[in-house]
Amino acid sequence: MQMFSTLLMKHISIQVITSDLPSASVILAELNSFSPDTRPYAEQALPEIPGRRFRESYTQAKTRLDKIASEVGFAPTSLSDGVTPISEGELDQANQWLGVAWETCSGFEETRRRQHEERVNIDQLETTLANFRNLHIDLGRLQGDKHFLETHIGMLPRTQVDQLRDALGLDRYLLFPFMESENETHVIIVGANDREASKLQSVLDTAGFRPLEIPPELHAEPDTAKTRLMQRREAVKQAAQALEQAISAWSAESRQTLERAAHILHLAAPYVALGEAARHRGDLSRLQGWVPADDLPSVERALDGKLPSAFVLEARDPTAEERPLVPSVMRHNPLLKPFSALVMQYGVPRYGEVNPTQLFALTYILMFGMMFGDVGHGAVILGAALLLRRKLGSFTAFGITAGLSSMLFGFLYGSIFGFEHILHALWIAPLTDPLYMLTVALLWGIGFITLVTLLNILNHLVQGDRLGALFGDNGLLSLLLYAGLLGAGYSFYADGSIGAFWAVLAVLTLIGIFAHKLIEQDASIGERILVAFIETFETITGYASNTLSFLRVAAFSLNHVALAIAVFTLADMMGDTGHWITVMLGNVFILVLEGLIVAIQVLRLEFYEGFSRFYSGDGRAFKPLTL
Amino acid sequence: MSSHRNQAYLKTRVAVLSARLLSPQEIERLKGLTLNQLGETFDLLPIFEEDIDTRQKSRLVEQALLHRLMRELSVLLRPLSGRSRGLLLYWPRKFELYNLKTLIRGKMSHLEMEEIRDNLYELPENIRLPHESLLQAENVLEMLRQLDQGPYALIARQARNVFEEQHETFSLDAAIDRLYYTGMLRHANITDSIDKRGLKKVIGIMVDQQNILWLLRYRLVYHFAPSEAYYLLIPYGGRIQRDNLMELANLEGLETIIDHLPAPFQTLLSDAENITQVRQRLDRTVSVELQKLMHYSPDAVVSALSYLIIRDMDLMRFYAIIQSKLLQMDQAMLDEAVPGDAMDATTMEAVT
Repeated sequence: MQMFSTLLMKHISIQVITSDLPSASVILAELNSFSPDTRPYAEQALPEIPGRRFRESYTQAKTRLDKIASEVGFAPTSLSDGVTPISEGELDQANQWLGVAWETCSGFEETRRRQHEERVNIDQLETTLANFRNLHIDLGRLQGDKHFLETHIGMLPRTQVDQLRDALGLDRYLLFPFMESENETHVIIVGANDREASKLQSVLDTAGFRPLEIPPELHAEPDTAKTRLMQRREAVKQAAQALEQAISAWSAESRQTLERAAHILHLAAPYVALGEAARHRGDLSRLQGWVPADDLPSVERALDGKLPSAFVLEARDPTAEERPLVPSVMRHNPLLKPFSALVMQYGVPRYGEVNPTQLFALTYILMFGMMFGDVGHGAVILGAALLLRRKLGSFTAFGITAGLSSMLFGFLYGSIFGFEHILHALWIAPLTDPLYMLTVALLWGIGFITLVTLLNILNHLVQGDRLGALFGDNGLLSLLLYAGLLGAGYSFYADGSIGAFWAVLAVLTLIGIFAHKLIEQDASIGERILVAFIETFETITGYASNTLSFLRVAAFSLNHVALAIAVFTLADMMGDTGHWITVMLGNVFILVLEGLIVAIQVLRLEFYEGFSRFYSGDGRAFKPLTL
Repeated sequence: MSSHRNQAYLKTRVAVLSARLLSPQEIERLKGLTLNQLGETFDLLPIFEEDIDTRQKSRLVEQALLHRLMRELSVLLRPLSGRSRGLLLYWPRKFELYNLKTLIRGKMSHLEMEEIRDNLYELPENIRLPHESLLQAENVLEMLRQLDQGPYALIARQARNVFEEQHETFSLDAAIDRLYYTGMLRHANITDSIDKRGLKKVIGIMVDQQNILWLLRYRLVYHFAPSEAYYLLIPYGGRIQRDNLMELANLEGLETIIDHLPAPFQTLLSDAENITQVRQRLDRTVSVELQKLMHYSPDAVVSALSYLIIRDMDLMRFYAIIQSKLLQMDQAMLDEAVPGDAMDATTMEAVT
């Protein structure tokens, strides 16, 4: 039964000597079974939270290591040494070393930034010079001290130009923009040389004005100036190469120490992750958390064998009030991993709630096959999944099962790459009897909705909510109402009359649901009646529309054949080569487009028509201490 | 926000919330209350009862008031989507920019990470800078490199200039303020508001207030040259436009500058003796003008924005009262810091 629900959990509290806390955290992290419970507890008896300094040191060290790793391209290798707890002294030492190392790396980064800026400056200067050369204006003449005129050539952010022009105008300077690049504007500032230079300089600094250093020999020897610029560019290039070499050398030289630091941080992480789940007073500490009941003996054994001093472990079942806080653990066969991932997209099951992964996997694969039944297309999906298994990872199983299901239904429908006459249909070719296909889909839908409603009743009973199981949305009364409506509908279809039994069943359950909705609300009588009426009406329309929604299962199987017919009709209009090209391209089209649509439609049926009826998905994920 | 239903919802919300705004009489009454009575009024008692020093209490009160404002903002945001939502969400970014100033100054002054963190506003996720990574930067240059990668690249450049050339941080603060108001105007220009004039008036009021105060500080306190003072101001105010601002920047002395201010500022500030008095009168004028917009703008977004600005100013006044009580300042000092009834008649006369 455990495979259809979350694992049973135990709340444990472990009392240890404070100095053993880091060891305890590492031992628990190795087991991968302990999720810290950070609710406040025993604040009077154990007023302090241990390891505040340790955590601060860890955070700083981890940030430093991450920054260094990104700067020098360092990726730590997996743990090779033994698993031992980390002392505060060891962590501090590592942090200190990482601080020094980051200072070096930060220097590399700053140098790289400056080199980039220098490259940009040279580019800008070259563009400026070329611009002036074309205009036959000697820029060299504009710079240098003049008797009556003060000139400045440089760049500033585009957004500042107007404001600076106005500001300089107040000091009787003129500003002329002469070129614009991405974010910068190149300007010349001119004014009479009879004012305090410091005033102008102050405004220019404030505006982020960057003067352009014009080579002095520009006027007399333009070629020398050009060569000088080229030399500058070459020098920057060489400096950049030297920097990269220095970074590589430093990285190689520091690799071992970096590995050691990464190792220390790795082992320190569990103690940090304990957070407020651990409390202490003096030498006595306590930590609390959640453990799957099955893993409790191994937790006890591990602590017994590895913890240096004595400890006291107390375990208990979660209380009724705690249930919403208990993390949900589900352990699946690896084949179910991709389906579990899709279920998690909807939400984590509540503790004790039915785990829908198996049901989801089975019904998803069946519906996919029903809607996309084709031996050839299924084989392509299967082959693609096998070929791309490295890239797909755990989702390979998803592709394989979907492909196999598609092939199975392909044999049942007698369809291979859209050809309906090559294989003999083991069951039925969908287009030969569409009404039969629609009936099967409808029955499938009724069965599916009945099953998920039963699961919802079960979920309520597990949570101890008998009233909800009986009267709530998708409770027993709703299910009986559904049965009454279906029975009445079928009687009307078969005999032309509704049938007294079904009519009475439907009306009585309807009254029951309406009465419950009337009672459960806390509002004025008028509002209660209105809301109860609307919600009861919604229950009926919900069941009706959800059931009809399953007609798409048949509709897509018919659609698959119809698309194939369209492709063959087009192919028949072509010559021999064109015929086969059209058939091939048509099949690719069907495979990609229809395959994708079917995959999404099935997911929609699962989530909207299925999960929304029984699965709350608002549980807490199990986040164990890990190494 | 075109839907009439949403307009009606927002208008109703603003009308309900506006009952919380503090009248001058209410401010007077609050000034007369004890610290505990003030705490009861604004649910701050737990902070006053905590065993922490005055500075920490003051900090917690400031955060609590900001949270209160952010909660009201989230209520007003509910019916909004698209550009109107973007506009209203942009307004509280000024707190983010305060944080940016704190971070840059803190790092430049080599303050400890914790000390800087203590002075940052806690803001909702959607308008928050990546504080943690900026805080973890181990020196100014590292933090500026991080800022270089985001929307604050220009600020980073200015800050680097300030840091490397050892300049004062005025240019930095001014650049940040200008960035904020430019962004506000950009949002106002692209929004589909049915009262763009009202919206621009709101922004104009804020910019004018900022410009007058900083012009006086730059020219009279820091003795900046006209060009530099002008450069640091925002050239697109409501009543004080670019030419006007240039003229004002060229003047000397408090009286002369006030004499050349356009109406209604000239009348309002005519007998102000110092910059503190100027600030108080401007605060009150802004509040009165925004109240008019809040009540009479045909666009609920303009009303909501006006409400938020007035509410923010009210909470600042309330915070000043709390601080004076925490620091046990005498009544005269409190009256000077937070004038109430006495000034109102003059202000109302000038504004109307």
